Amino acid sequence: MNRFFEWLLNLDRRWIYLLVAVSLITPIVVPIGLPVSTTASTRRAFEVIEALQPGDVVWLSFDYGPSSTPENDPMADAFLRQCFLKKLRVIVTALYPLGGLGLANNSLARVTAEFPGLRYGEDYVNLGYKDGAAAVMRSLGESISKAFPADQSGRPLADLPMMRGVQNIHQVKLVFTAATNLIGEYWITQAHAQFGTPVVIGPTAVSAPKYYAYLNAGQLAGMLGGMKGAAEYEKLLREKYPQLDQYYAQTRRFTATKGMDGQTVLHTIILIFIVLGNVAYLRTRGRRRREPA
Amino acid sequence: MSPTFPGIGIWVSALLTLFAFSFVYKDNPFFRFAESLFAGVSLGYYVGIVLNQTLMPNLITPLTHDFASNWDLIGAGLVGILLFMRYAPRIGWTARYALAIYVAYYIGLEFTRRIHGEVLPQLSRTIQPLFPWTSTTFASLVFVVGVYSVLVYFFFSKEQNAVTRRIARVGIWFLMISFGAGFGFTVMGRIALLLGRLNFLIQDWIYPALGI
Repeated sequence: MNRFFEWLLNLDRRWIYLLVAVSLITPIVVPIGLPVSTTASTRRAFEVIEALQPGDVVWLSFDYGPSSTPENDPMADAFLRQCFLKKLRVIVTALYPLGGLGLANNSLARVTAEFPGLRYGEDYVNLGYKDGAAAVMRSLGESISKAFPADQSGRPLADLPMMRGVQNIHQVKLVFTAATNLIGEYWITQAHAQFGTPVVIGPTAVSAPKYYAYLNAGQLAGMLGGMKGAAEYEKLLREKYPQLDQYYAQTRRFTATKGMDGQTVLHTIILIFIVLGNVAYLRTRGRRRREPA
Repeated sequence: MSPTFPGIGIWVSALLTLFAFSFVYKDNPFFRFAESLFAGVSLGYYVGIVLNQTLMPNLITPLTHDFASNWDLIGAGLVGILLFMRYAPRIGWTARYALAIYVAYYIGLEFTRRIHGEVLPQLSRTIQPLFPWTSTTFASLVFVVGVYSVLVYFFFSKEQNAVTRRIARVGIWFLMISFGAGFGFTVMGRIALLLGRLNFLIQDWIYPALGI
């Protein structure tokens, strides 16, 4: 047994990399469909959006870049689907400089293609990217057209029917920010704190722990923490709107639910290696001490 | 079924992804190439974004299209240009004025944001009445013990005695639990990124190339 532990402790790390790759590739090729359980923070997010009335205006901010698309894309897509199914009107913006706008365009193209009846300018608008996130949010309290005089294609806001009754952020019922950086925090501490607009955040897993403080303090209406949160949100959405099963069952498209298969398999392997590594270390520690340096 | 080869963009993305992954085996010229390309493209993209999405709509277009209504933007533009004066040694000191304006603006903005958006709401949530006793009272009590003990751990102005050492020890436990939670989430986040790339390689590159 000790020889096994010695072998384990001296194992070339590249074998572990290979194991990681195999454990993630296998569920992509052969989806397992492991169950996803929901948490209170995601249920709160889903319910607060569900409680909005048709015609209400919501704000979706793409505050992430290409490096976190596997986590944030499924959240943003699912949020747009819920909004369009509930007939909410959506204002889309991007406040993250490195690729936020491109991702907003991609997400809108993907989801609006699933809802052929939608009309740009009436059901949703894309106001594009604006630099200086915190300053932008501050000016939204006074006037949206001050921060975004025109939409992404250069059409003045006055020409967009949906924006005629929406002067500032006080007329927006909810902000959803899919965030990878400080910008998510700005929405809470600027838009919510100063204007009282409810904020739901979909942060990357890395930044999720810090947002629990805001959630527990009642500053967030809900939170989708990383890919797990996105998968929970997808589950709630599919339960409420079974017509979405057709989309989420397509194996080609990447969804958070499918991603959780790989996450679960790899987390199990990581846990096994943590236990084995510690047992191996403890079992061989005495001998290492006796050996001369 | 005949193979439907994916476009050139997919092939470039796929090969660069493999170049980046090759580092886990060992450092090599392919990884170096991908790394340098990524740094260069990111910087170029950012410059383009700032030029087209910030300077053009906020400064250049308003000044060229309606100068009479936007002449005051010249002042902001000049302050921006002053930032680059540090490259001219003789008048480099003028850059400090631009930096001072920039810092002062953000201090003003951040001060309100931090106090009203972070300090006060978090503080009011941390300090809750003990009665009537509910399950959230217990959670609040744990919060208070955690916050207090961690603050004691980070209090370096006075040498610790037997009592504060014990409290600081409790603070270390709170910190370790918080770091553990953070590390767990970080692992999940990194796996998610790897999953995204592997999914791209399989679903968008290999499958279409094989006609699957």
